[in-house]
Order: sequence, then structure tokens, then C-alpha cells
Amino acid sequence: MLSMKNISKVYQSELVETHALREFNLQVSEGEFVVVTGPSGSGKTTFLNVAGLLEGFSQGEYLLDGVDVSSVSDNESARIRNEKIGFIFQGFNLIPDLNLAENIEVPLRYRGFDSKERKRRVEQALEQVGLASRLKHLPPQLSGGQQQRVAIARALAGEPRFLLADEPTGNLDSLMARQVMELLENINQAGTTIIMVTHDPELARRAQRNVQIVDGQVCDFTSYQKSRSTTSTTAEPA
Amino acid sequence: MRNIKPIISSLLRSKSGPVLLLTQIVLSVAIVANASFIISERLALIDRPSGIAEAQVLSFRVYNFDPAMDLRKQNQQDQLILRDLPGVIAATSTNMVPLSGSGWGDRYVDGPDPETAKSLPGFSFYMGNEHMLNTFGVKLVEGRNFYPEEIKMGPAAKSQTALITKSIAEAHWGDESPLGKVVYQQDIAITIVGVIERLQGAWVDSSNFEYSVIQAVDFGGAMSSTTYLVRAKPQDIAQLKLDIPKALHLENPNRVIDEFYTVAEHRGHSYSNHELMAALLSVMIVLLLLITSLGLTGMVMFNIQRRTKQIGTRRALGARKADIVWYFLTENYVICAAGAVIGVVAASQLGQQLMNHYSLPQLAWQYPAVTVLGLFVVTTLAVILPARRAADIPPSLATRSV
Repeated sequence: MLSMKNISKVYQSELVETHALREFNLQVSEGEFVVVTGPSGSGKTTFLNVAGLLEGFSQGEYLLDGVDVSSVSDNESARIRNEKIGFIFQGFNLIPDLNLAENIEVPLRYRGFDSKERKRRVEQALEQVGLASRLKHLPPQLSGGQQQRVAIARALAGEPRFLLADEPTGNLDSLMARQVMELLENINQAGTTIIMVTHDPELARRAQRNVQIVDGQVCDFTSYQKSRSTTSTTAEPA
Repeated sequence: MRNIKPIISSLLRSKSGPVLLLTQIVLSVAIVANASFIISERLALIDRPSGIAEAQVLSFRVYNFDPAMDLRKQNQQDQLILRDLPGVIAATSTNMVPLSGSGWGDRYVDGPDPETAKSLPGFSFYMGNEHMLNTFGVKLVEGRNFYPEEIKMGPAAKSQTALITKSIAEAHWGDESPLGKVVYQQDIAITIVGVIERLQGAWVDSSNFEYSVIQAVDFGGAMSSTTYLVRAKPQDIAQLKLDIPKALHLENPNRVIDEFYTVAEHRGHSYSNHELMAALLSVMIVLLLLITSLGLTGMVMFNIQRRTKQIGTRRALGARKADIVWYFLTENYVICAAGAVIGVVAASQLGQQLMNHYSLPQLAWQYPAVTVLGLFVVTTLAVILPARRAADIPPSLATRSV
């Protein structure tokens, strides 16, 4: 599904050369829920950006869904992001001037779906996150947790091969964080591969696999299976 | 254009900037369309051919102060002297100078009975001898020039022959030839002996500017000052301005010879207000378009700054660079299209007001149409650069805290 071998990412300024990732190696299989943790500045976000083709890398080999994406063009990486990857951001990144349906439609329009198909996917995605009745609401009219669920719906609407989540609960209180985490677990159980960057040790413990990054390298690789019954113990969404 | 619906939604939800820009576009369309129309009207007036060899025809005045002078005899003598000067092609005395802003006007009727006679269009009334046609360099398209024996002396002379412009003939007789027709100037019967292709009058703003008549009268000597016209090659004009006073003073030194202007110079002076207005309106159009395009560039740049994260997010979600450029162009086109529709209505209303108050013709539809097209081009140029800058915002910005 995702295979990174000896990936390096160097940020070069006039005075300083910063090695954000060094000989970074990671394999993620289809259907996994991988949590990436690490201290601030360790390279978590850089890893996420490289994994999501949001930026390139300096060296190494990256196979995504079996395809070498080391030297894809800007347009091609936009297409891959649009079709194969769903993004969930810490700050939700919803467009405040667009209602929920229009926000979810954004990537679907770039994909060229007709209005009927877009409508079907939007309704299905909002149904999935429990916000089907809020179709015409604007993002500022929703709570933080609800906004993050909309962002998840936007990511799901494209039916991606995997979700990349960047601190998806970072801006939420603990109750909302649990609800969002439960939603992600449900999505994962339905078959979508998820890679999530977080600071939250509790959330990290709930994932199937925890990858820790320090100084741009995977330093502690812990893999463990948790029983499905443990992970599904959460409250109903507010 | 697949983004048009959310763009309209977005514009409707944050109205203040787009509304300001829309107002600017509406005003620009209304003003630029009408200003362009006025400019083109003015330029069309200026471009009308006079029919005269303007650069070759030099006018000047001779002021006689000697009470003992036989003015008519002196006039005849002066014309002979002028025609003998090196470089002179033709010379004549005249009662008025074309395009000079000062002249004579009259109107004929087509029958002796004032009750039943129909009036011909009012015309500029030239009095000249058989040399006048050649001096003007106008083209006779029908009939003949005056015979020397037909020329009467002085303004009160009862000239019985006239040359008229084709424009008068067509206005009164249509396709019928005016040759041999008898027209009446009060109680004087005048026979039309020739048709001039084109000869403009003295007043460039007159509605009868294209209607002119030359009557067979040598006006020189009728008054203490006499106006002469001399035709020469343009390169000889400067020398003639020196030679003419010398030659005429040699004949009789008791007079002032002054006011040397070619008809081309008279044209420049007569149309100077039109040219000034066209220039000022052109500057205004350029400034308006500049302000509109700067306003648009400013709005796009402000929007890019305001939406930096949003653009990064769109890129992360799969927008290509071209999609981002199109987003801003489409946003521009939506505002421009709305501004164009309202602007065309405003332009038409403004045109109506100008027509009512300043006797301008009705605004032609092409002007708002071309203005709108031009505005789309100008605003595209204004938006494309900042939009391309926006497209360079990296998708990784979506994960940064900005």
C-alpha cells in the first residue's frame, strides 16, 4: 500500500541545511491503522506531507499503491492526491464561505464528477459522519467536532485508498476527540487504510500500530494488535 | 467553469469587496462606452474630407487704409500680381475661407413664388471668380466652371450663375441632375452650371457644413479689407508668406498684409476643441481602466493573502495549478459579467441623458459591447499574474499553521 525506503528530506536555506527526514523507512499495508507520534520538530508533519505528495523528497524510493511516485509531475501528484488520498487536517481546513455540501464537493469537482454523482457522494459522506441534516450549514455554524466530521466526510467522499490525518483531534476537547477517533476507527474497520499523526498518547494506544519518529527517523517500531472490541468502546456523537 | 456555482455562492456570502468592484466595473462600462462613443464621433468629424487641397491653400488678408484707393481696381491688380509669383498655382479673392470659423451663409428656394417654392438646404456661401475652383483644388463632377464674363463685381452684384456641391444637389433633387436648374436668392434667378464633388464651409460644427455654393462674384474690393486665397505646393508656402507682402507692397505700400494661414492650419484651429476633448476623454478612459484593473489586482492579491491556507488546501485536495488560476479568473469573469450587464444598462441610460442634454446621437450598441470585451481583456491581464502567484502556493501549506 505504502512503501518508503531510505527517504530523505532536506530543507535548504542560505545558511542552514535541515534534515527533516533521514533514511526514513516505513511499510504500511492495506487496511492498517497506523499512528505516527513523536516530539515537536521530529519530522511527523514532513513525513505526512511526503506521504500525501504534498511535497517532494530529496532521496529514496516511495511506492504508493505499487506506483513509484518519486518523480511524478505536479499535475499527476494532484491527481493521485485527489483520487487515492483523503486528507484530514488539524485545523479542519474547511472553506468558510461554502456550505457543507459545497465544501465536500470541492475535491469531487476537481475529479470531474457530474452534479448527480457529486450529490450522491456528498449525501452518503455526510450520512456516514452523522451530519446529513446539516447540508446547507456553513462551517462557522458548527462546533469544532462537527467541523472535523465534515472534513472527514470531505476526505471520504472521494472513496480514497487511504486517509492521512494530521492531528485530527488537536483542536478538539476530549469528548469530541473521542467521537472523531471512534469515527476514524469505524472507517478503518470498513477497510480504509489510515495513517494518523498525533501527540495524544491515548489515541496512539488505540491504534493497531504505533510508529515513533525522532530526528526524522523511525526510532521505535512497535506493532501490536488490539482487539476490535476494545477500540469500539466510545460514546455516541453529540 | 466547473467552479462557477461555489464561486457565486462564495461571492454572495462575502459581498463588500465584490460589490465595490462591481460598482467600479459598472461605472467603467457606462463611462468608457459613452466616452469612446463621443471620441469616435469627434474623430469622425475631424476626419471628414473638406474636398480642398488644404495644405496647398494659403489665405491672408490685405487691409487697405488709403481712402483714395480704387479698391476693385486694386483687387484685380493684386490678383494678377499673386498669380505671377513663382510657385503660385492659382489665386483668387474670396469672401470667406473654408474651415476658418468665419464666413457667410444663405439659402436658395427652387421657384419664384415664395408661397409654393421649396427651400434648398442652407449652405456656406462662397463668392469667387473662375479661379476659385482651381485655387481650392476641388473637383468638378458635373457641368462647367464659370466663364470670365459671368463674374460680377462686389457683394451686391446680381450673379446669375452658381456652382453647388453634390451634397446640396442630392439633398434637394436626389438622383436628378441639378444642371440648368434655376434657383432663387430673393428675387435673383440663378442658374446652376456645375456640381462640385465636395467643398466644406467655414463652421465645422454646422449641420450645413457639407453644403456649399460658389456664386460668380468677385468679392475683392467690396470692403476695405480683402481676403485672398493662393494655391501653391506645400514646400513653397513658407517662401510665399515672405514674397506676397513684398510683391503687394511694391505695388502699393499703404496697406497691412497679415493673417497668413493655410486651410490645414484653419482646420487644426477649428477642430482644436474636438481634439482636446478626444484627448481628455482618452486619458480618462485609460485612467478608469487602470483604476479598475488595479482595483481588481488589489482584490485578487488581498484574496490570495486571505485565502492562502484555503488555496493550499484546494491544492492538497487535488486542484492543479491551472485549477487555481481558473478559480480566480472565473471569479473575475463572474464579477465582470454582472458588472457588464448592469454597466450596459447604465451606459445606455447615460447615453440617453447625453443625447437629451447635449444633442449627441444615440449611443451605438457596438460601444458598450466593445467596452465590455475590452474590460474582460484588461481584467484578465490584471488577474492572471496574481492568480499564477496563487497557483504557486504549495499544497503542503494545508498542514502548516498559518
